[in-house]
Amino acid sequence: MIGKCFFWICSVSMVCSVITGNTSKLASAVFDGCADSIELSLSLLGMMCLWCGVIEVFRDAGFVGALARRLSFILKRLFPDCADDSDIMGDIASSVAANMLGVSSAATPFALSAMEKLDKRNGCGDTASDDMVTLSLLGCSSVSLFPTTVVTLRYAAGSESPYAVLVPVLICSVICTSFAMLLSRLTAKNKPLGKEKRKSLGKRKERL
Amino acid sequence: METLSSLAVPTVLILAGLVMARGKNAFDAFLRGGAEGMRTTFSLIPSLTALICALSMLRASGAAELLTELTSPVLSVLGIPPEVIPLAITRPVSGSASTAAFSALLEETGPDSLAALCAAILMGSSDTLIYVMGMYFSRTHVKKARRAVVIGAVGAVMCLFLSAALARIFFRDAA
Repeated sequence: MIGKCFFWICSVSMVCSVITGNTSKLASAVFDGCADSIELSLSLLGMMCLWCGVIEVFRDAGFVGALARRLSFILKRLFPDCADDSDIMGDIASSVAANMLGVSSAATPFALSAMEKLDKRNGCGDTASDDMVTLSLLGCSSVSLFPTTVVTLRYAAGSESPYAVLVPVLICSVICTSFAMLLSRLTAKNKPLGKEKRKSLGKRKERL
Repeated sequence: METLSSLAVPTVLILAGLVMARGKNAFDAFLRGGAEGMRTTFSLIPSLTALICALSMLRASGAAELLTELTSPVLSVLGIPPEVIPLAITRPVSGSASTAAFSALLEETGPDSLAALCAAILMGSSDTLIYVMGMYFSRTHVKKARRAVVIGAVGAVMCLFLSAALARIFFRDAA
C-alpha cells in the first residue's frame, strides 16, 4: 500500500514539475524531505517514550480490564448476535478499551482474535456477518482519549497550545463512531430490535 | 475550554505517578512501555522518510498547489480548508503517509491556522480505514465485505465535514 502511494506521489510530482517548470527544485526537495523526516522522528521520540510508558503503567495497573468491564454494557447492544458468547465479547471489549487508551499495539491482537472467532461462528462463509462489519468499523473509527501523534506533531511545529484540540477531537470521534455504529446496525440483516429477535430471546429466557 | 484541554495532560501524568508510587513494579512497566514506544518510532523512520521525501517533492513540483487551487472553489462552499485535502486523501490509506501529510501541512500553514486545526481534529478522530479493514478481514474467510467499506467511507467523509465545523466552532479566532 505504501509502495503504491510512494510511486504515485513521485510520478505526479515529476510530471507536474515538468509542466510548471520547477524541475530544479525537485531534487533539492528530496534532500530537504530526508532531513525533515529525521527531525520529525526525533521530536516524536521523546513524546512517544513518555506516553507509551504512561499507558503501559495504566495497562499494568488493570485500567484496560476495568474499562473493558464498563464497556460491555454498550457492546452487548452493538453485537447482539454474539452477546451470549463471553469469550468473543471479552476480546472485543479489551480491544476497544485498549484503543481508547491509545495502546493500539494491544488492541489489534484482541480484535484479530475476535474476528477469527466471529468467522468460525459465521461458518467460514464468504459474506461478512453483521457483527464482523460492526467490529471492523469499530476498529477503524474508535474513540481516542488522547491522540498522541497529533499533539506531538503540533508541539514539534511550535504550536502555542498543542493540547487545545483534545476536546474537539473527542467530540468528533464520539460522533463519528456512533454514526458508523448506527449505520451498521440499521443496515444489519439481523435487526436486533426486530420482533422475531425479541421473541427468540423471550423463548430462550423461558427455557432457562 | 482551553484551560480544560491543557490541564488534561498534567492530570494524566499525576494519575500515572500515583499508580507508580503505590505499585511496586509500576515503574518497570513505565520503562517497558517507553522502550516499546521508542522501538515503534524507530521502526517508523524508513517509511516516514520515504513518504516525507515524496510529499516534499509534491510540494516543490507545484502539484499540491494545483490540487488546492482546483478543489478550493468547491471546498470553500462546503466550509473545508482546501489545504486539508492531501491529508483527507491519505488518512484512510496509510498511517505513515497521513503523518507525513499532516506534518507537511503544519509546516506550510503554521500549527494554529484554521486548516491545521481542522487537520488535527481529522487526524485525531479517524483511522486508517483501508489498512484496518484489510488486516481484520485477512484473518477470516470473508470475501464480501462491501457494506463495511461503504459505511467506513461514509463515516470518513462525515468526519472531514465535522472536523471542519468543529475547528470553526472551537477556534473562532484562527485564520
